[in-house]
Amino acid sequence: MLKKLLFKNQDKKQLIIAMIGAFMGITFLITSIHYLIKVNEFGEGADILGPNTIIVQKKVSNSSSLNLTKTDFSESEIQKMKNEPFIEDVQPVISNNFDVSFETADPMVPRFRTDVFIQTIDPEFLDVKSDKWHWKEGDEFVPIVLPRDFLVMLNTFMSAQGIPQVSDDLAKDVKFKFTLKNDTDKEWVDARIIGFTNEVASILVPESFMKYGNDKYSTEKEKKITQIMIAGKESEFGRVEEMLNERGLESKNSQMVVGRLKSMVGTLFLVVLGISVIAVFVSGLVLIQYMQLLMSRNAYEVRTLLRIGYPPKMLINHFFIYFVKVFGIISASGLAVFFIFKFFLDEMFESGGLYIDTTLSYQSVLSLLFAYLIFSVASYRNAQKGIFKDY
Amino acid sequence: MNIRFEQVMPFPLSSIKHGEESIWGNKVRFDSGEKVILNASSGKGKSTFTMTTLGLRHDYSGNVFYNDNDIRSMSYEDWTNIRQTKISVVFQDLQLFPKLTVRENLKLKNDLSPVYTEEELRSLLNQLGIANKWDQECGILSMGQQQRVAIIRALAQPFEWILLDEPFSHLDEENTQKCLTLIHQRCDEQRAGFILTTLGDDHGTKYDREQKL
Repeated sequence: MLKKLLFKNQDKKQLIIAMIGAFMGITFLITSIHYLIKVNEFGEGADILGPNTIIVQKKVSNSSSLNLTKTDFSESEIQKMKNEPFIEDVQPVISNNFDVSFETADPMVPRFRTDVFIQTIDPEFLDVKSDKWHWKEGDEFVPIVLPRDFLVMLNTFMSAQGIPQVSDDLAKDVKFKFTLKNDTDKEWVDARIIGFTNEVASILVPESFMKYGNDKYSTEKEKKITQIMIAGKESEFGRVEEMLNERGLESKNSQMVVGRLKSMVGTLFLVVLGISVIAVFVSGLVLIQYMQLLMSRNAYEVRTLLRIGYPPKMLINHFFIYFVKVFGIISASGLAVFFIFKFFLDEMFESGGLYIDTTLSYQSVLSLLFAYLIFSVASYRNAQKGIFKDY
Repeated sequence: MNIRFEQVMPFPLSSIKHGEESIWGNKVRFDSGEKVILNASSGKGKSTFTMTTLGLRHDYSGNVFYNDNDIRSMSYEDWTNIRQTKISVVFQDLQLFPKLTVRENLKLKNDLSPVYTEEELRSLLNQLGIANKWDQECGILSMGQQQRVAIIRALAQPFEWILLDEPFSHLDEENTQKCLTLIHQRCDEQRAGFILTTLGDDHGTKYDREQKL
């Protein structure tokens, strides 16, 4: 009876318009948050290098071949890049300044030995736990990050020897060793693989090991910095790329393509997210305004109910539950349409070659719950204000 | 529950001179179970008295007490409890819901603190000669019929006092007497009192005392 008294006599046109607005806002809000997260996660875990990270060097031209222009980086050049607003960090890639060879040292694996080129980068750029990425003199082994191509080469060799090939996980159990030497001294240090990279062509070692080798076995003065690592800010890869072109720098193409793609799609979803937040906010306001209108249309009924003994809380709950149900219908419809969108968008991304993770991101569901919570609190406060005004 | 008025003066009535026997500006007490006729001409504040007693108007100086509790200190919960179980009212403008039927208007009140069954409500309507209006919207009833519905609605709750603000203004003498019989009967059942405001006519009913405004 209360429902009939308070809600029968209403002009539902405005309510339906607000519901459609909120439904569209909610649908795009969940969709954009979901894909923003999935696109940003794209590529993570596939490589040990951190996301949005590239290794760059100066382009080699005819003049640099003739030693007319430099191919190394000065401190001031690195500092200038660090100061750019779209750059998270820049660190030099330090190379070995001594002779080093790398070989298998495991009875289960045939002997394989080669001279190698080792490099070290700041641990900040690696997707590896810091407790694994350290070395000091006397440690059992040096943790290394191996170029995946190296493993392919090792497997080719083993296959030719008629020995089963090793997987990534198995390779991490194989014992290796480095041989460090100069004209007078020689030393063997055990090594273990802790990860693989597609982006670096050399074996990566901790900075302390590099320093140890360079201090003890270096034959020349300090080497020049010819490669640097750049970490760009999220969704600003376009500006990083622009800077590389301006300064005559180059990077591995695959890194650039992924960064560019993520940046572009991420920006697109960020725009959609912004519009969705505004749409949800505005339609929420319209719904709240409709509630106020409904309450002022029913001012006589509310006042009389209070006068004949109806508890204010009961009336507040009636209005509150009505609008929470309305927003519940909107949210459920938004979520259902999101799943339909997701089905088609995932297929579109896949057919476009972008294999993003298709599991539901909890952040998109959280955003819906957050919007629902905000609306519920606003509805309750509004109903409370409207009822007590007539008390 | 006793009701006490101490030096109460509604602001809109402060410019009018009130006598020593008036409620306004004096000390007046209504004892539990008393049946009082509140007699005054138009504009002396009969409806103001009803609204002030029920805590619906606050534009006055002085104090109103229920027993020893100043009604200004009462919470929303206190008022809900008072209006559900202690004081019932027939407003001068009736305050029914015109879009609801007679049945719905009565049940809306009766369901809060159930007193009557649906059959008993119909029987009360029958006693007042409007049983055939059960399913009609209140908005299309005559004022006299609406007054009878409002009286039954006021009786459909437990109370210690019933405030009747000119409740028979649109009723003929026969229907007025029928209504008074019901009111007396219900008050006696609960040992409740009434305060009946009139324009001078006591309708020949029994009462304990007359109070001037």
